[in-house]
Amino acid sequence: GSIETREVHSAVAFVSARREWLDGKQNERVEVEAQKTESGLVPTHLALGSCHRGGATSGFTVSEFTPAGKLLVPSGSSSKGLHLHCCCYMEPFTILHKASSRKTDKISTGTGKSRTTRRIDLTASLPASTDISDVNAAESNERHYSNMRMEAFEAVWSSTESSIKDVLREANATIFSEIHEWVRDSFDTIVSFGVPNFHEATQPFPVVKDATSKQIFTGLVLTRNIEFVDDLVTFEDLKQHLKSQGCHVANLSSVDFSSKNGVGTCLRSLLGQFVTGSLDTADISMLATWYKEQQNNDNPVVIIIDDMERCCASILSEFIHMLSEWVLKVPAILIMGVATTVDAPRNVLPSNALHRLHARKFTFQSLPEKMNYVVETAFVKQSSEFTISHKTAVFMRNYFVHQNGSVTSFIRALKIACAQHFSTQPLCFILHWFLRDEDNEVPQSHIYGLSQERMLKLAFDLPSWKSTNNQITQLSGETLLDGLTQLKKLHKTWRMVVLCLYEAIKGENVQLLDLMCEALDPKGPFASQFDIGSRVLPSDDSTSQKFHSLEKNKGLINRAIRRVKELPANQLLVLMKAWEKHTVDVPEFHSEVKALVLSLLKLEENGESLNQNKVEMTNTRKQALRGHLNGADKNLRVANEKASNLVDLMVRRYMCPVECVALHEVLCFDCVDQLQAALIGDMRRRIQMDLQDFHAIIRCSCCSKRGSTILPSMPDSSIMYTLAQEHGDVVNVHDWYQSFKSVVLSTHMVSKRGKSRSKQHSPTPKKRKTTSELSQPSEASIQARFCKAIVELQVTGLVRMPNRRRPDYLQRLAFGS
Amino acid sequence: RKAKLFPPVPPLSFLHSFWSDGEQTPESRTFHSAAFCRPAMEINDGEEEEEFEFSRNYFLAKELGGSSKKSGRKISDIDPVDEQELRTAANNLEPKHEREVASLMESYKASYPEWGFMLRTGFGLLMYGFGSKKALIEDFASTSLTEYSVVVINGYVQSINLKQVMVAIAEVWWDQLKAKRRNSPSQAQQPFNSRSIDDLLAFMDGQEADDDKSFVCIIVNNIDGPGLREPESQHLLARIASCTHIRIIASIDHVNAPLLWDKKMVHTQFNWYWYHVPTFAPYVVEGVFFPLILAHSSTAQSAKTAAIVLQSLTPNAQSMPIESLYAASRERFLVSSQVTLNSHLTEFKDHELVKTRRNADGQDCVYIPLANDGLQKLLPEINP
Repeated sequence: GSIETREVHSAVAFVSARREWLDGKQNERVEVEAQKTESGLVPTHLALGSCHRGGATSGFTVSEFTPAGKLLVPSGSSSKGLHLHCCCYMEPFTILHKASSRKTDKISTGTGKSRTTRRIDLTASLPASTDISDVNAAESNERHYSNMRMEAFEAVWSSTESSIKDVLREANATIFSEIHEWVRDSFDTIVSFGVPNFHEATQPFPVVKDATSKQIFTGLVLTRNIEFVDDLVTFEDLKQHLKSQGCHVANLSSVDFSSKNGVGTCLRSLLGQFVTGSLDTADISMLATWYKEQQNNDNPVVIIIDDMERCCASILSEFIHMLSEWVLKVPAILIMGVATTVDAPRNVLPSNALHRLHARKFTFQSLPEKMNYVVETAFVKQSSEFTISHKTAVFMRNYFVHQNGSVTSFIRALKIACAQHFSTQPLCFILHWFLRDEDNEVPQSHIYGLSQERMLKLAFDLPSWKSTNNQITQLSGETLLDGLTQLKKLHKTWRMVVLCLYEAIKGENVQLLDLMCEALDPKGPFASQFDIGSRVLPSDDSTSQKFHSLEKNKGLINRAIRRVKELPANQLLVLMKAWEKHTVDVPEFHSEVKALVLSLLKLEENGESLNQNKVEMTNTRKQALRGHLNGADKNLRVANEKASNLVDLMVRRYMCPVECVALHEVLCFDCVDQLQAALIGDMRRRIQMDLQDFHAIIRCSCCSKRGSTILPSMPDSSIMYTLAQEHGDVVNVHDWYQSFKSVVLSTHMVSKRGKSRSKQHSPTPKKRKTTSELSQPSEASIQARFCKAIVELQVTGLVRMPNRRRPDYLQRLAFGS
Repeated sequence: RKAKLFPPVPPLSFLHSFWSDGEQTPESRTFHSAAFCRPAMEINDGEEEEEFEFSRNYFLAKELGGSSKKSGRKISDIDPVDEQELRTAANNLEPKHEREVASLMESYKASYPEWGFMLRTGFGLLMYGFGSKKALIEDFASTSLTEYSVVVINGYVQSINLKQVMVAIAEVWWDQLKAKRRNSPSQAQQPFNSRSIDDLLAFMDGQEADDDKSFVCIIVNNIDGPGLREPESQHLLARIASCTHIRIIASIDHVNAPLLWDKKMVHTQFNWYWYHVPTFAPYVVEGVFFPLILAHSSTAQSAKTAAIVLQSLTPNAQSMPIESLYAASRERFLVSSQVTLNSHLTEFKDHELVKTRRNADGQDCVYIPLANDGLQKLLPEINP
């Protein structure tokens, strides 16, 4: 930033005056204010930062910080003339730059240094375009390619995101229409109490009838989420749904019901959503006026409160009272999200407010159900081919189960994974190619800044390709195309199998995500035959059979296989019908499943006819019948066996984890550490680790011999932090200072030794000069370093300043390892 | 092991009970943990170990603090140097590892394209790690975000008027919009500074832009700084950040900074994407408003301050013995009336040279909040 210097001959400047001042316009005003306070003490907010910053030390002395953060400057300095260095660092906000249509315009303002490094970066990342000498051209190319990659990402992600959104909305469709029906009924009831006549409607006070007409119809919605973040999404959907049905809908959140601001805030927020134009005052009569002015008054006003339990009870009850007084003029219907139990309003609201509510309960889908929908859409039925590795899936699962518990955050994690994939994987654009379904054409790499040769090289250098296709020497576009087609096919069949397995155990309260993690495992018991390098089915199944039997009692896949074996006829039929749908793309299975369905249908027909016969049967014929029934049992068992064999075969032949397929890196995200780092910033730990292991980060030569010793060359804050470890939760400032000082002074012992040695060996004048400069640091500088280090530890929140009770101690706030 | 040492902390135990209790009424906010089998592979095993280390350290530190003999040494025993000298020294400190810090900063340049990509995909970038990140973020913005307008908010400044900031952002966005479609007639605009916050938010969130990919980038240096620490400020920032045409890059330094936000803000509004970028650059501007510990509490310092105040007062006030009451002052012809005394006392009170408190009988008493040694140092200075 630019630093402007102004000389002010009196020692006062107020912050309010500062901006004008920078423009050089209102010096007078500054001086006028200065004369007002000629007491010799000058309160000013001014830019001490610049004094520290520029190294150009100011000509004034700062003697005191007042608690408000003001500086007191002694008047002595004013006689000398006070140099105040103002710079943008102390502005609350600045505009760094405005958008430039052409990038090159702006580059000229940057330093030459950054520009050259940028060129180096570019050529490094763009080996294909080395012949382009012009930096600008390369830059604009790079920008173009990154835009293309961005587009590819957006296409892939939006296809996933929109299908997830759709499925979540669909999942709520029934309950939404139920709510809408109730809203309509409630509205009709309100209207039946009486519509205010013209005279009544124009009065600025409510219409009063009997007590029953004061009731507010209230829908208590059990959201059954863990995090209210998910509720927000649901309520937003509900709002859109009701709006599309013609209702007037407003959303209020618990922030609007805070005790700090009173009921005015929520009224203002409510009015803001209906009435256009600026509002000076918020009054419910304005809402009534607004409602009267609507074209047709056939629609209710629905007010959705996201999380009723987080609202301030008194404000909420006041709000309810107000609404109930006005309900005939503003037919309001409340929908309140409840996170715990339907008893919540009883616990939160006073009884007089409760009496005004006419409540009804609605229940949304539970979180595991929603999660299953999301996983199914995102990974199993997805429209884009993007997927995640086993490790990533396990991480995301743990993140969901142990850390977050919200569907929204799970989707967000998936988006981060997808974005990271697109920013790190140079071949990511192939996902876009998959999406567009141009199977018979080699992906157009050049529009993403990769020549075809480069793309082929990248693809055939992928570890998965190298380990599977050593023998193929002819590396052409067709080979890549074949590989990709194969990849797509195997991925598709994997999804088919997972879907079939999931159908089989759906009823058992099983999470699809768990099943997916198991099915993705490239080292799992079922994946052994898909080991990279032997994609052909092994002729001898004994090894996998052994695995199979070993793991028999474990895992969801085995559970699914077992369950298929034990299903009763009618459920088996339902399952097979579902499979029939899923297996369409694999004719081999499709036909077998079809045959099974037919035989089961036949079985069922027989069973029904038997049941009918049963009634008419005489005792004498029972014997024969039992034989017949046994036959049916046997048939069922045969069908079970067949289905079980089928699923077994399916798992072993087609459930190839994506990580076992050549070229899978193109569509499979695997940088789980990167994902974790982006998702969960471990602030508290990382700051302390930075201070402890600073050497690993800055890689200096002076602090390399790190053991447990504290070296004086370490950053002061690191020294201080390490020293603080020896203290308890409070640190005596004096002791801390003394140990800091001894560490700092130990440098000079070391350097003295070094000096004498260097004198013996090579007494070059240059060296002598440097060593002689290393004189003992002054007491003041050690103290200043100590103070600065404490300030830095305060900024990072690791220590707190002494309080009045313990003026000589600092409080430690974090306890690192 | 953990359970023994670590009594349940509310937020965690809250979650844990949800995951572990299968037995809950259907009405309750249930999650059937039974539905999830044990994880096939615990990736964060090592982390739990570390977490355990942290909690152990906490108890060790507490124990140490309680049991060990506390050192009774005072700050004044350090014998702090003169404040002016201290500040001069503090301003002229030689930075350590300057070269390494510079090359560390340089090394982050390789990540600029990725940061830009993440920003454009809609995430807010949250930079953390030891060292000032102001220069780094602003360098990133001025090299990689030239096609977007960039507004910088400095959270380390003591007070920030976010409404003003919003007006500035809205103006910048309006300029950007105007530049995009030069030929279209610019519609009549209400000046931004007279609009309400909701209007401004709606404008930044609006669908007016032809291409919805363009945005204004906001850099918030120290979003956890003193000027923005109020919940209201954070809520407003979150609402700004969630606007369609706004992207945010922020830096945090305080270990407890994440406590400023709830999950709604983190996951849906700010939409943070964490980057660990330690710079080890000195916290210069960030530390401006923190007092230097040795400049603050020493008796010499307060004596000096007192001397400065006293010297600059009228002669009568200077020579007045502070502990004397009105009668004594009158006796010595220092003041002629109660009003004059009061005006002197008010002056002293304003500069905290005297304070008043009420004694057991309910009388107002004046006292000097300086230590004895401070007074001793002071007297020779004002009576040479």
